[in-house]
Amino acid sequence: MPESRGEKVFVTGITVFLILFSIIAIIPLLSVIATSFSSKSAVDMNLVTLWPKQFTLDSWMYIIDRPDLWKSFFLTLGSTVIGTVLALLMTALFAYPLSKPEFRWGSVIMVGVVIAMIFKAPIVPYFLTVRSIGLYDNPLVLIVPHILNPFNLIIMRTFFKQFSKDLEEAALLEGCGYFRMLFQFVLPLSKAVLATLALFYGVVLWNQFQHPLFFLQDTNLFPLQIKIRQFITDDNVIMAGAASTADLNYNERTLRAATVIFAIIPIILVYPFLQKYFVKGAMIGSVKG
Amino acid sequence: MKAIAFHRMKMHWPLYVMAIPGIVFLIVFKYIPLAGAVIAFKDYSVFQGFMDSPWVGFKHFKTLIDHPDFARVFGNTLMLGALKLVLIFPVPVLLALMINEIRKTALKKGIQTALYIPHFLSWVIVGGILFDFFSLSGLFNIIIGWFGDESVLAMQESAYFRPIYVLASIWRDAGWGTVVYMAAISAIDLQLYESAMIDGASRFRQIRHITFPILLPTVMVLFLLEIGNFLDLGFDQVYNLLTPMTYNVGDILDTYVFRTGIQQAQYSFATAVGLFQSVIGFIMVYTFNKLSKKVSDDGGLW
Repeated sequence: MPESRGEKVFVTGITVFLILFSIIAIIPLLSVIATSFSSKSAVDMNLVTLWPKQFTLDSWMYIIDRPDLWKSFFLTLGSTVIGTVLALLMTALFAYPLSKPEFRWGSVIMVGVVIAMIFKAPIVPYFLTVRSIGLYDNPLVLIVPHILNPFNLIIMRTFFKQFSKDLEEAALLEGCGYFRMLFQFVLPLSKAVLATLALFYGVVLWNQFQHPLFFLQDTNLFPLQIKIRQFITDDNVIMAGAASTADLNYNERTLRAATVIFAIIPIILVYPFLQKYFVKGAMIGSVKG
Repeated sequence: MKAIAFHRMKMHWPLYVMAIPGIVFLIVFKYIPLAGAVIAFKDYSVFQGFMDSPWVGFKHFKTLIDHPDFARVFGNTLMLGALKLVLIFPVPVLLALMINEIRKTALKKGIQTALYIPHFLSWVIVGGILFDFFSLSGLFNIIIGWFGDESVLAMQESAYFRPIYVLASIWRDAGWGTVVYMAAISAIDLQLYESAMIDGASRFRQIRHITFPILLPTVMVLFLLEIGNFLDLGFDQVYNLLTPMTYNVGDILDTYVFRTGIQQAQYSFATAVGLFQSVIGFIMVYTFNKLSKKVSDDGGLW
C-alpha cells in the first residue's frame, strides 16, 4: 500500500517533533555535565552551554576528595543492594502463596493488599508508627519501609500464576516442599520479573528522599539524596574545607554540577543492562495488574 | 468439614509460614498508620498513644478551616492538581500515539530511551539540574540573553513556579508514562490496521478510529486513578522545587503537613490536614467513577 504525500508529511512531522522532544529531554542533563567539566571563569562568563569550556577536572577532583560524600555514597549503595535483595525475597515469599489456590486466605489477603495500595496512610500517623518501632535515627529506616510494595507484589503474583501447574504438582508429589519448590524451580524461571522488580525497588531505594528527611537527624547517616540536597541549597556545605576561593578553578556552581552528576552515574551505568527488562515488566504490571 | 479444612491447612503449612512476614509488614507499615488517622479526632499525646489520647471531635478540622494558611495552601494544591490533570496527564497519551507511528525500530528505541531516562533521576537531582539550568550563568539565562532579555532567577520567582512545575513533571515522567500506553497499543490486533488500509483509511484515520478508541479504556482507568490522587502532588517533587521565595504559590498540603506535623510536632492538626486530603480524593474518584459509568456502560473503576 503506497503512502500518500499527506501521510509522508504527517509521519515526518511526528518524527521531527519526537526527535526534538528527545533532544530537549537530554539538554538540561548535557548542560549540567558540561558545567561540571568547565572552569570557574568560563562558567562566570556565561560561556558554557552544552559542551565544556576550558575543560578541567578540578571540580571533580574536589568532589572525589570529599570523604563525607563517599560515606553517603556507600551508605546509599549498601542500603540499595541489601534492600533490593531483601525486597525481592520478601515479595517472592508473599507472592507465592498468594498465587496458589491452596492458600485458603489468599483472596481475603489480596483485598487487604489492594486496600494498602490504594489508601495512603496520612503521613503523621505513619511517621509516629515508624518512629515507635525504633526506626528514628536508625540506618535501617533506609531499608525496612521499602522491602514490600503492594504494586510490585501484585506484579509478581500475576507472573507466578502463569506457571504451568503440572511441573509443580509432579514435584510436590515427589515430596518436594513448597520452600524448595519456590527457590529451586519457580524463582529460577522468573528472571524477567525479578530483574524488573529489582530495578523498581532499586531505583526507589537509591532515590529515596522523604524517609531520610523525616527520620534521620544524625548527619553521619545521611544518604546521597539528602547530601545532594544540602549541596544544592547550601553553599557553605559545598565549599567546606576549600582554602581561599580566589585562586581555585571551581566555584559553587561547577561543584554542584559535579555532585549532581556523581549521584546519577550508578543509574546511568545500570540502565542499559536493565532496559530490556523494565519495559517487559511494566507491561506485565499494566496489562494484567 | 472443619477437620478437612484443618487437614488441608496442615498439608499446606509452608504457604502460611511464607505469608507471615508480608502480612506483618502490611499491618505495621500500612494498617496501623491508616488506623492511626483517628488522631485527627483526638488530642494526640506521645505518652498516651493512638488509643488513649482524649477525643476532641472535629476540633482540628475547625482550626484547619479557620487557619489563615489554609486557604493559601489548599488553593495552591487545587491549582497544581488541576494543572496536573489538564496539562500533564494528556502528554503521555499523545506521545504514545506519536511514538507508535514511527516504524523505524532503531529510531523508535532511541527516542524511547531518551524519554525514559529522566524518570530514573530523583527529584533532588531534577531539582539540582533545574537550579543549575535556571541559575544566573545557566543555560536558560544564556539563551534568553541571546534575545536580549534580562537575566532572571526563575526558581526564586513566584510567577515561574507553576510553569516550572508543569514542565519539570512532563520532562521527568511523560516519557515513562508512555510505557503503559505502548503496552496497550502493542496488544492491538494488526489485522485491524490491515483491513483499514485495504479500505483506504489514512494513517491519521487509523489513529482516530483504531488506536485511540482501543487506548481509551486504559486512559480512563489511569485518569480515574489520577483523580483519586488529585491532591497528592508528590512531596519530593514540590519540596525540591520550592524555595522560600515561592512559598506563596508552591506551598501545598504535603509540604505544609511536613512543616506543621513533623517539624513542629502538631500531630493531630497535621493528621486532620492529611485526612481532609484523602477524603477529597475519595469523593473525586467516587464522583468521576459515577460520571464515567454514565458515559459508557463498562467504564469506571468498579
